[in-house]
Amino acid sequence: MIRYSLITILLLLASFVLQQFLPAFTAVHHSRILFVQLVFLCAAVTVELPTMLLLAFIGGFFWDAHCALGPHTGDPDIYTQPVESLRFGYSILLFGAMGFLMQGIQPLFKQGKWQFSALLSGISIFLYLMAEYAIITFVRGEFSISRSTLRQMAFTSLLTMLFSPLIFWLLFSIAKICNHSIHPEAGKKRHRPH
Amino acid sequence: MKPLNLIALLFFLGSAVWAFTLSDRGVREMQDLYFSAMSPFLKSGSKLETQARAFMNETRHSKSLEKELAAFQGEMGRLRVIESRFRDLERENLQLRHALDFKKATHFDVVAAQVIRRQPTTWWQTIDIDAGQERGVGTQLAVLSNEGLVGKIDRIYTGQNRSSVLLLTDEKCQVSARVEGSPEVGILCGQRAFDENPLLKLKFLSTEAALRKGQRVFTTGRGGTFQANILLGTVESVEKGVLDSEALVRPSVNFANLGTVFVVLSADP
Repeated sequence: MIRYSLITILLLLASFVLQQFLPAFTAVHHSRILFVQLVFLCAAVTVELPTMLLLAFIGGFFWDAHCALGPHTGDPDIYTQPVESLRFGYSILLFGAMGFLMQGIQPLFKQGKWQFSALLSGISIFLYLMAEYAIITFVRGEFSISRSTLRQMAFTSLLTMLFSPLIFWLLFSIAKICNHSIHPEAGKKRHRPH
Repeated sequence: MKPLNLIALLFFLGSAVWAFTLSDRGVREMQDLYFSAMSPFLKSGSKLETQARAFMNETRHSKSLEKELAAFQGEMGRLRVIESRFRDLERENLQLRHALDFKKATHFDVVAAQVIRRQPTTWWQTIDIDAGQERGVGTQLAVLSNEGLVGKIDRIYTGQNRSSVLLLTDEKCQVSARVEGSPEVGILCGQRAFDENPLLKLKFLSTEAALRKGQRVFTTGRGGTFQANILLGTVESVEKGVLDSEALVRPSVNFANLGTVFVVLSADP
């Protein structure tokens, strides 16, 4: 189990590398494949709570390091109302919240029904983007959401979700190599004598 | 809840609070560490993106590129004529300055850079360019294209000769602006929504702002980041409020088609 947990952490770190090669699809409403979030969500359903929280911290921390903008500068007499940005570290909590959501359907996953988790990963990414947008709106005031923003979120979730079977396959393979069963009840059913 | 889970949760919350309370300097140091570790992959990622974009453009627009080339050749000829006239005027201006003993030194130093990566994050409007510390680029410097203001340098990737530009279309990029042919000044910034043709918002105009569509908007040079008289865009519409008015401005720069940009290293105000 420890070996499996360590490999999932390495997999999450490797996903940051892969993310560098995935640009935004300007033709598809500026949507993108959020590979880091996807790896985290898929891994979150296969591990225990402490490992999930560790993954959430690593994922959120490095995601913010990847995205955070610099502080606002300029003469405060001219720029009297600087636009607030999100505080570094907010993604840690968002990753944690998404992880709890995935852990909620762990019983289904343990029965071997990984398809539900794949579907939920798409929904979680949509909720994650919505929450992120809502926080930006809350910090900056004046709520506004356009159709193009909604489309961007929907297509990002959909595109990302399409890759979840691949990640689950990778996780199952890793679990097999580590002699660790990530859905034990399905295994029990298969080995039950008739 | 199991005791181990509770301990893990407390550790998680404690770590999140630590990350929240990091100073700006601490965050920058963390980002420097992250990006130096990612450096080889960033380079390959940008190269791949640039190649893919070039390939797509080539296959999609080969005919239109031919037309564009012909138009550019014509335009270049016209500009050559203008340039020779400009040189004459410059010489004449210099002679007159000498005659008047006018000592004002003009200084405008720029570095040309290529866009190597577009929009690397979900919500922030940024691009990466291939000019960094090694070429004298620092944070908060203005970035221009031949069409007008593009944005400002937000982050330098230490030791990688590249930097990140916060675009004018981002809500966080604020510019002190004036409207040509009117006394109106305000703060120009991007809007939150993503759009193919984004419009900018010119805020804090007077209630009786008499602006018309097509009027040009320039930087005022106030505020400490952007030099004066850089073209920002043209007025699209005006909405009058009780306390102030707001105008929608169409940016002069085509942000979807940015190739070469110029970082202003130093300039007279």
